[in-house]
Amino acid sequence: MAETLLRVENVCKHFGGIYAVDGVNMNIREGGIWGLVGPNGSGKSTLFNTILGLQHPNSGGIYFKGQRTNNMAPHQIYDLGVVNGFQIPRLFPSLTVLDNMLVAARGQQGDGFFNSLFLREKWQKQEELLTDEALDILELIELRKHIFSTAGELSGGQRKLLEIARALMAHPTLLLLDEPAAGINPVLGKKVFQKLQDLSCSGMTFFIVEHRLEILFEFASWIYVMDKGKTVAEGNPEDIVKEAAFYQAYLGKE
Amino acid sequence: MDPSMYLLDLVVFIGIFGIMSLSLNLEFGFTGLANFGKVVFFLIGAYSYALLSQAGFPFYLCLIIGALIAAVFGFLISLPALRLRTDYLAIVILTSGEIIRLIVKTEDWIAGGDWGTSVAPAIALPGASAHAGILVNIGLVYVCLFICFTISRLLTNSPYGRVMRAIREDEVAAEALGKDRAKYKAQILMLGSAMAGLAGGLYVQYLHYVLPGMFLPIVTFTVWIMVLLGGPANCWGALLGAALVEVFDRGANLAKDLLTLPTDASNLQYILFGVLILLVLLYRPQGLLKESAVKTRATERVRSLGGAVRNKED
Amino acid sequence: MDVNWAQVLVNSLVTGSLYLIASVGLTLTYGLSGFPNFAYAEYISLGGFVGYFVADELGAGLPAAFIVAFLVVGVVGFLCYRGIFQPMARRGATIIHLMVASIALGLILRHLIPVFGDFIPALGWSWAPSYFTITWVAFDFGPVRLTGLWLWTIFTAVALSVVLHFLLTRTRIGKAIRATSSNPDLALASGIDVEKVIWITWFLGAGLAAVAGIFRGAETQVWPMTGWEMILPVFAVVMLGGIGNFYGAIAAAFIIGLAENIGVVALTALGLSTSYRIGIAFLILIITLIVKPQGLAMFFRRS
Repeated sequence: MAETLLRVENVCKHFGGIYAVDGVNMNIREGGIWGLVGPNGSGKSTLFNTILGLQHPNSGGIYFKGQRTNNMAPHQIYDLGVVNGFQIPRLFPSLTVLDNMLVAARGQQGDGFFNSLFLREKWQKQEELLTDEALDILELIELRKHIFSTAGELSGGQRKLLEIARALMAHPTLLLLDEPAAGINPVLGKKVFQKLQDLSCSGMTFFIVEHRLEILFEFASWIYVMDKGKTVAEGNPEDIVKEAAFYQAYLGKE
Repeated sequence: MDPSMYLLDLVVFIGIFGIMSLSLNLEFGFTGLANFGKVVFFLIGAYSYALLSQAGFPFYLCLIIGALIAAVFGFLISLPALRLRTDYLAIVILTSGEIIRLIVKTEDWIAGGDWGTSVAPAIALPGASAHAGILVNIGLVYVCLFICFTISRLLTNSPYGRVMRAIREDEVAAEALGKDRAKYKAQILMLGSAMAGLAGGLYVQYLHYVLPGMFLPIVTFTVWIMVLLGGPANCWGALLGAALVEVFDRGANLAKDLLTLPTDASNLQYILFGVLILLVLLYRPQGLLKESAVKTRATERVRSLGGAVRNKED
Repeated sequence: MDVNWAQVLVNSLVTGSLYLIASVGLTLTYGLSGFPNFAYAEYISLGGFVGYFVADELGAGLPAAFIVAFLVVGVVGFLCYRGIFQPMARRGATIIHLMVASIALGLILRHLIPVFGDFIPALGWSWAPSYFTITWVAFDFGPVRLTGLWLWTIFTAVALSVVLHFLLTRTRIGKAIRATSSNPDLALASGIDVEKVIWITWFLGAGLAAVAGIFRGAETQVWPMTGWEMILPVFAVVMLGGIGNFYGAIAAAFIIGLAENIGVVALTALGLSTSYRIGIAFLILIITLIVKPQGLAMFFRRS
């Protein structure tokens, strides 16, 4: 069995008495696509935010490769290898598509103050390689011809794709994606998942919130179901559809 | 005044305020930091220069140490800058500036209080003509301007510059992509403040005196006009803005002597300044020159290939 | 050192009253429009000048001066918003752009004052300070000395507090102002004409600044920098009270009034220059923003 990558232990996050996440436990192992489903307001995005360090949990523990990340800053969590794609893309609107990609690249030699001034030859070389990598990814999501458009000029679906592509530039160990297939056409959506599955074969792990269950269930290896801040069911896609809790979460109690 | 002297004097001012404008451009134009207290760092550089040169330090050390002291203050300001909302930061820096000005104004022992003190020129040429003196100043100021401009260009056309812009556009997203925004903001405020401190030193050694009245909040505002007019996030724009505002300032001064107006022309000059900036904000908020893209060898290579093909060799 | 503490307290009350009158408009417009309007300083100066013209040059007396200054500067405040800030905000201007615009507008207004004075000498406006010629009777209550002007300042501040309290809690427009300030979208959805609410607040806010300008002018002098001399302490009141929070502003104004007057005693005791008096408000402003930017608002519910 693969090693545990992310462990969520009894995590709670409340906002002034309202529990958005209420004692969630999860155990995500290396490799594959892990799904998180649940109705709107069930706490999925808040859980993601606590994993990313954008919000800090009130209690419980989050461990990445055994290291407690509860109170780390987002950039420190990125350094550990956890990257995300926001549900509503947060691109840098007046930067070009290419710059949006390059800004995310991991381990850049030229993003330090003195290096950028004095080690120009070194980072220029590295950046040429990164640019080629960026172009390959952009080719795949059909944004290749838009590389010099600004991100603000893209359509909604294109932004969504760029958000995912940008996260891939960061070579994540664990990539959190919030509704990657929302707002893009189904064919492309499926193609994106296909690519994610290919990447997962090469060792990347994905944790994905998705409302398009038909796509998610085709590719995911394990599904968590959340409702009212709690995990109410988990299992592989074939089994989860047989779970009563899964239907209750989506359809509400009769 | 001899017209050629008048022109040369203008050239010196453009150089000094060009440095100020470049530094605010790094902070506001590229990184989105609303530094409403540029004058603080200008003042710190100026007074450091004055006091150090009175203590007998050579001019280059006075300039460098002045810039370093200003950078330390820039670092201090960056500590709250991480947590504060844009408008709160603006008010905090503006108010800090007024406190520091209040101190140098009140404490006579620092540098003559309200009356100020005289400052020795950086390079004294005994017996030389006024022209030679001003030409030496132009040389000194433009060497400094060139250094600041080169640093600005190198920094902003690099992965570092990309991060600066990313922080301006969405600092949370930048943070989630592994960029320690506290570090970047601190570095940029330190660099910007050092440049402003350098400009302050150059300014007082050129004018030969320093007094608190030279560091009113209007100086900050003038630099903002330069950046907004020339075009934020464009280094050439910052220089263009500095030149235009200084020329406008001189033009208005000349007009004052030539025209007979029923009112004090310096008031009209400020009103025109205000109207000008309102027009820019209303009708051309991106300034005269638009933001320059990040230019590195890699992006330029892709650009030169029209973005369509690339060399598969590497 | 012999300190007349009763006098210090009374002085604090006067200072606090002036700051309260000066800051109510700023806190309400800041809360509604979401940016600090630095041109507010010029509303104060302009109020002083209009009041000076009506009271001294025309000799129409102080009550007339207050009314005319309130109306004239109120209209100026409304026009600033309607003509500059509203169009900018609609075009998606950032808060930085709005702040710069307000500084530009302040620069224009400040320098327009002496220009008007040059073109219309009857106004008596110039860069040189002008002084109200009204002389105020001084009263002695035991160890405490009060002037008529001070009594009027305190009375106005108290009356303003009472009137605003009823306006904000009992009238439709007041409730609309509070609703819009706490949640503009909700206010819009519940049928409040948000735009009109903002206009009225800008008018009232600028008018109140003008009243403060007259009190300040009568106490010291009237010149184009009157407003700038006061604006940072006024911001200190706004921030300490919590932006948009009228009750917080009342408390903050008197806290800062006390701090300044006790501070003067302390400065003297420490052998420091009393020029630092204004620095006390500066320090309170900076510390508030760094430590607790929501100010005292936690003690005062907005609605």
